[in-house]
Amino acid sequence: MASDEKSVQLKSDALMEQMKLHLTTDAGKALTKKIGLVYQLNIAPKKLGFNEESYVVDLKKGEVKKGTYEDGKPDATFSFTDNDFIKIAAGKMNPQIAFMRGAMKIKGSISAAQKFTPDIFPKPAKM
Amino acid sequence: MAMRELVSGGAACATSGSSSSSNPLGSLANALLGSSSKTQERLREIPTSTAIPSDGSASVGTGEPLSGLPGSELDHPLQPNAQGSEFLRGFRSADQHGLADVWDEIQRPQVNFPPEHVLRQPDTNGPPQRVLSSFLHSFVNSSHGGIPFCPATLPVLGLSAGDKQCIRDRSSIMARHFFADKSEDFINAQVNALLSSLEIDNDIRAPGPAFKRYQELEKYWHETHGMRPGPNPADGWVAEFAQHPVGHGDPSTWVQSFEQEHGANGWASEFEHEHAQLASMDHIRGATMPHLAAMEQTRMLANTLAQNNDPKFQNSKFFQFVSKMSRGEITVEDNQIKPATLSAPGDWATEYQQQYSGGQTWADQFVHEELSKGPNGWVDEFASERGHVDDGWVNEFSKLHVNDWAEEFGRQVGEGTFGDSSADNWASAYDEYLNEQTALKQQSESSRGVYVFSDLNPYVGHPNPLKEGQELFRKGLLSEAVLALEAEVLKNPDNAEGWRLLGIAHAENDDDQQAIAAMMRAQEVDPTNLEVLLALGVSHTNELEQAAALKYLYSWLRHHPKYGTVVPPNQPDSLYYGDVATYFSDAARMSPDDADVHIVLGVLYNLSREYDKAIESFQTALKLKPRDYSLWNKLGATQANSVQSADAILAYQQALDLKPNYVRAWANMGISYANQGMYEESIRYYVRALAMNPKADNAWQYLRISLSCASRNDMLEACDSRNLDFLQKEFPL
Repeated sequence: MASDEKSVQLKSDALMEQMKLHLTTDAGKALTKKIGLVYQLNIAPKKLGFNEESYVVDLKKGEVKKGTYEDGKPDATFSFTDNDFIKIAAGKMNPQIAFMRGAMKIKGSISAAQKFTPDIFPKPAKM
Repeated sequence: MAMRELVSGGAACATSGSSSSSNPLGSLANALLGSSSKTQERLREIPTSTAIPSDGSASVGTGEPLSGLPGSELDHPLQPNAQGSEFLRGFRSADQHGLADVWDEIQRPQVNFPPEHVLRQPDTNGPPQRVLSSFLHSFVNSSHGGIPFCPATLPVLGLSAGDKQCIRDRSSIMARHFFADKSEDFINAQVNALLSSLEIDNDIRAPGPAFKRYQELEKYWHETHGMRPGPNPADGWVAEFAQHPVGHGDPSTWVQSFEQEHGANGWASEFEHEHAQLASMDHIRGATMPHLAAMEQTRMLANTLAQNNDPKFQNSKFFQFVSKMSRGEITVEDNQIKPATLSAPGDWATEYQQQYSGGQTWADQFVHEELSKGPNGWVDEFASERGHVDDGWVNEFSKLHVNDWAEEFGRQVGEGTFGDSSADNWASAYDEYLNEQTALKQQSESSRGVYVFSDLNPYVGHPNPLKEGQELFRKGLLSEAVLALEAEVLKNPDNAEGWRLLGIAHAENDDDQQAIAAMMRAQEVDPTNLEVLLALGVSHTNELEQAAALKYLYSWLRHHPKYGTVVPPNQPDSLYYGDVATYFSDAARMSPDDADVHIVLGVLYNLSREYDKAIESFQTALKLKPRDYSLWNKLGATQANSVQSADAILAYQQALDLKPNYVRAWANMGISYANQGMYEESIRYYVRALAMNPKADNAWQYLRISLSCASRNDMLEACDSRNLDFLQKEFPL
C-alpha cells in the first residue's frame, strides 16, 4: 500500500501495520487472551494534541484499525506524539515517566492503562 | 500513580471507605458526599453565626465511599427552588453583595443545586485540626458551588502566628484561583470571611507593607495570566457567575475550571512567587516564613513517605529530595533548588525510620494525616525542580475523569492489588526519570545527525588507521574497526571511504543513528557514491523516516550511470512513492541481472510495506549474490516484519554463517523470538548481540522487556547496570 501521497506520514503507521499483522499470529492471539482490552491511540505528528491520527488497538477482537473506536468506549485512550509513541513501544521510554512528564495523556480505566506496556508491541527487525 | 492521587484528592488511598483528610481536594470529595438530609438543616443554619455540630461525617477518616468526587452524585433529584429560597433567605440576612436576585435568576435555568453542593457548615466538633480542616474545606467548597462563603465562629483553634500567616497567604491565593473571574471585592470578601472566622488578622486590605504585597501579587497575577486589568464592578461577578456554566454534570468540572483559569503552572508558580515576595517583604532574618512553610509541608510529606519501610523507597532520590526540603537542606527559590548553607547531619533516612515505626503503607499513612496543609507545597517543589516541562502531568491529571480512577483505585486497593508496590513504582519511576534525563542529553546529539566520536581512542596516532580499520572490519571486529576508522576520519575528514566504512560498521553493529551520521559525512564528501546512498536509504527506512529514505533511494537511481536516464532531469520538489517505484521497475527491466537494482527495489518495497514484493526482489538479488550476508539479513528482516518469523530465522542464520560477528543479525534473531513470545530464547540472542557491541541501545531495551516477560525480574538489575558478564553467564547460547 502506498499511502505516502499525503504530506505527513506517521512513523507510528508502520508500527500499527506491524501490530495488525502481529495479531494474526499465535503470539498475537495469546495477547488478546491475556489482555482483552480495547485501546485507542491518538498520535500527533509533532505537537501533542494537534492533527492527531487515531488508531484502535482492539485486543479483544485482535485487530488494529485506523480511526476512533466506534463500538463503544475504549478501555483506555492514550495521546502521544509520533516519536514518543515509537519510543514507548520500543521500551525506550517508560510509560509512567511519560505520563508524569506530560508526554502521554491517558483517559479511561487505570488498570487498562497499566496494561499498556511495551511488550504488547512487536519489535521491528532492521535491514 | 500515587502522586496523581495526591493531587486529585488522594481520596483513593487506602481502604475503600476512609477518605483523605490531608488535603482539601480529597476532603472536597467527602464534603460533597454529605447526605442530603443535612441540607435543610444546614440551610437554616447558614445565616447565623453560631457553630452547629454537624454529623461530622465525611470530614476525616470516616467511612465515606470513594465515589464521592465532585459532581459524581448529581443524579439525585432535588428541589432546587425550595432549597434555593431557603438559602436565599438566609443569604439576604447575611447581606452578601445583594446577589440574591441574581441567584434566583440563576436557579431557574437548569442549574442543579444538589444537596451535596450546598455550603456545608464546617464540622466544629472534634480536635482543632479537624475543625480547621473542615472549615477550610468548606471554603474550598464554596468556590465550587459559587456560593459565597459565610463566616462562622469557630471554637478556639489555637492557631499559631505561623499557621495564621500560612492560612492567610494560602487562602488568598486559592481564593484568587477559584474566583479568578470574579471581582476583587468578592475575593476579598471571601478571604475576609474565612480569616475572620479563624480570628486571623486580616491585613489584606490594610494599607502598609502587607497591602502593598497584595497589590504586587495582584499585578503579578494579572501579568502572568493576561487577565483583564483592574477589578470588575461589584456586580460583575454575578453576571459572570450567570455565564459561568457550573457544569455539575461533569465530575471534574471544578478541577477543569481551576485549570482553565490559570493555565500551566499558575498556582504553583503563583505560590512560589508569593513566597518570594513574602521573603522580600518580610524583614525576618534567617529562615523566612515561606521556607518554614515549605519545610513544614515537606516534613509532613516526608513523615508520610517514611512510613514506607522499604529501603529502596527510602533511598530513592525523590524521597531524599523531599526529606532534604523538610530539613531545610535545600530550599526552593525562584523556581530553583538551592542548597541551604547548613547541611543536615547524619542519616536522615534511618532517623525517620527509627522515629516512625509501623508497618503501614505510605498510602494508609497519608490518609490518616490530620492537618490539611495540602499538596500545594510538594507539587511546587516537584514542579519547580523539574522546570516548566513537567507540570504538564499535573494539569493533565486534573483533566482526567478522576471519578472513575478513584473508584477503580479504591476497588483495587481494597482488593489488595497494589499493596506496597505502588509506592515503589512511583519512587522508582522518578529515579528512572532522572536517569533518563541524563541519558537523553547524550542521545540528543547523535539523533540530530551529528556524529559522536568515542573517547579514549587507542588508534589515534596510528600511521594508517584506514587500513587498520579495513582489516579489523574484514575480521569481523566491528567495534574495533569503528575506533580505527574514527581515528582515520579525525585525521582525514575528507576521506569518503573512511566515513562510508564507518557508517557500514555502525549499521552492522546495530546503530542506525551513528550509521546515518557517518554516512551523511560520506555523502558530503562524495555525493554520487551509490553505496552511500543505498546505505542511507536503508538506515532511514529502519528508522521509519520514510520521506528521507525515499529521497536517498531516488538519488541512487539518479546518480546511477546506467539508470540515470530513467528519471526526469530535474529533481522534483516532493517525491511520490508511486513514481519512484515506477522508475525502479523500469530500471529493473533494463537490467534484470543487476542485483543492486533488485536490492534497492527490495528496500523500496519495505518502505511501502509491500512485503511480498520486497521478499521477491531480495530473493532475486540473492540468486545473483548468494554470499552477501547483508542481503540475507535484509531478506530476513523483511520476512520478520511480515510475520514470517520462521523463514526470517533461517535467513538470519545464513547471514550469521557468512558473518559470525554480525551484531545486527544477532539482535534481529532476538527480535524474531521475542515477537513469537519465545522470550527465554530471545534473551540469549540479545545477550550475544550485546556481548559483541555493548553500545547497542536498542538491544538493551529489548533485553529488558524480554527479561520481564520471561519473569526474570531478578536479572533486571544486571540489565539496568549493563552487567554483561553476569548476563552472559546466566544466558549462554
